[in-house]
Amino acid sequence: MKRFWVSMVIALSATVFMFYQSGAFAEKPKETKAPVAKEEKKAEAKAEQKPEMKLDMSVAPTIQIDKTSLDNGGTITVTGNAPAGKQVYLEVWAEKKVRASRFDAEVDKETGKRPYILYMTYEMPAHYKIYIPKDKKEDLEKIKKEGKKWAYSKALKDLGADIVYSTPAKAKIDRYQATLMGSIIGSRGDMLAAMDEKENKKRSMQLVKARFRSPGKVLAPTVEVSPDGSYKAQVTIPKGSAPGKYSIVAAVDKNAKSQPVTVENNVNFPNVYLSNAGTSLNLFGPFLLTLGIAIFGVLMGAGGGFIMNPLLVSIWPLPHTIVAGTVMPTVLFSQGSGIYNYSKIKFISWKLGVGIGLAMVLGGFIGPKLTEMITLDQFKFVFGWILIILAALMFWQTTPGYIAKNKKEQAILKEFKKKAEETAKAK
Amino acid sequence: MVVEFWGHEFKVNIVLGCIGGFLIAIVSSMFGFGGGPFMVPLMTVGLGLPMYVVVGSSLLAIFFNTLMGTMRHYQFGNFDLLFFLIMFPAAILGGFIAPQIAKRVSPLTVKRVAVAGLVLLALNLLGVY
Repeated sequence: MKRFWVSMVIALSATVFMFYQSGAFAEKPKETKAPVAKEEKKAEAKAEQKPEMKLDMSVAPTIQIDKTSLDNGGTITVTGNAPAGKQVYLEVWAEKKVRASRFDAEVDKETGKRPYILYMTYEMPAHYKIYIPKDKKEDLEKIKKEGKKWAYSKALKDLGADIVYSTPAKAKIDRYQATLMGSIIGSRGDMLAAMDEKENKKRSMQLVKARFRSPGKVLAPTVEVSPDGSYKAQVTIPKGSAPGKYSIVAAVDKNAKSQPVTVENNVNFPNVYLSNAGTSLNLFGPFLLTLGIAIFGVLMGAGGGFIMNPLLVSIWPLPHTIVAGTVMPTVLFSQGSGIYNYSKIKFISWKLGVGIGLAMVLGGFIGPKLTEMITLDQFKFVFGWILIILAALMFWQTTPGYIAKNKKEQAILKEFKKKAEETAKAK
Repeated sequence: MVVEFWGHEFKVNIVLGCIGGFLIAIVSSMFGFGGGPFMVPLMTVGLGLPMYVVVGSSLLAIFFNTLMGTMRHYQFGNFDLLFFLIMFPAAILGGFIAPQIAKRVSPLTVKRVAVAGLVLLALNLLGVY
């Protein structure tokens, strides 16, 4: 019987995996379509900018790159010419899009009220970075020292990089007005009207910070500008970035930008791209980690989720929402099989289990809503305290008094189980 | 509420059980873990039930929470299929390997190692080191 279940599980996961694979193939035509649409957009944008572009053609920088394809990240050397004496900025973004969200509960300086608005976009580039001139390095260090409270919009302004910031500003951002009642029934709240271009840009900067978190991830001082106007920069696409096209644009002014150049980043087996998380990783990493933690979890009598989630968000650049939402279903099946085994020998009090279970269903309805309202730092902080409580609980279970009591309990448990099993067999 | 289990009757303070279960469910679904290690002490210490009643029934209660949490996370787009397909076989495999090892190690040692590991991990998350 056990073997039957093992083979069932293996067969099932194989089918699901194949289904996913074929799904991935089916997606390909879509990807080829996307650039076309983008080019149209670009053409539109060009047409709009034409009057200005004419003026600035003479000052727009040129751009060249030394390679056009990368294998799971790498460094590209970007060179070009700009008008002498101008600062050159590079904007680098990935074509692949991910989700970013931010819950605004900070006191508004003007009205003194907390807005409680959830900002969310599905169009944040999976990788976004602005390269600034080398001589701004000290200014960037200062921003890094501000710690977690740094503001991306202020950093852009201080470093003069706001002239090149444009791709995330175009992302469509949805706003939801959260209410206490809405949170209780677990809805995101009412969707508010779309924002104007300026407001959208401002909010997109906050979302960039929410998604990429640290200044070093979105800003790098590597552009070397010579007095004659030629410039050179190292652009690094880190390991674990999304596959697909990366575009680079050089700018000296808001209206003096080069044509974009593109680099293709290839991610090959065993590295896979998790499209929802926006991260590529070696698939053996999480596999071995899960295996190890699952074994340890069973041995210590607690689910692996406690150790799994904090490790996953610490080791890989995965969003905590994805980690929480994906680890939870993995324990569903082991719980289900446990219930099945207990129910076979009638070792479950359905009245008690369902009674408390109904209260837990309500909690499970609200919890996932709250996950997206907190930042990764808050996630880690609260999780730290949860683990301390858990450690205290486990420590208590190793004290002599508990062990003595537990021994008796376990003996009774075994006896009852035996009785139950025999009864089940007799039937 | 009176619960009857294998010929014994137990008085259960269902209000306490439901409030505790509700809070544990919020936290566990929010952070994406099962919640068993919190549910078992709640039912044994808080509700005063013996272990043999708790093992199965707590699992059933948690299952409700995990099922609901999974559906809600899926609804909010927090589920990554490929990531799940990497972890799921590993979790199943772990479930089969663990009982083989369990016979050879003392649960007390495992728990002590777990306590040390959890404290280290917690301090790391809180940014102490």
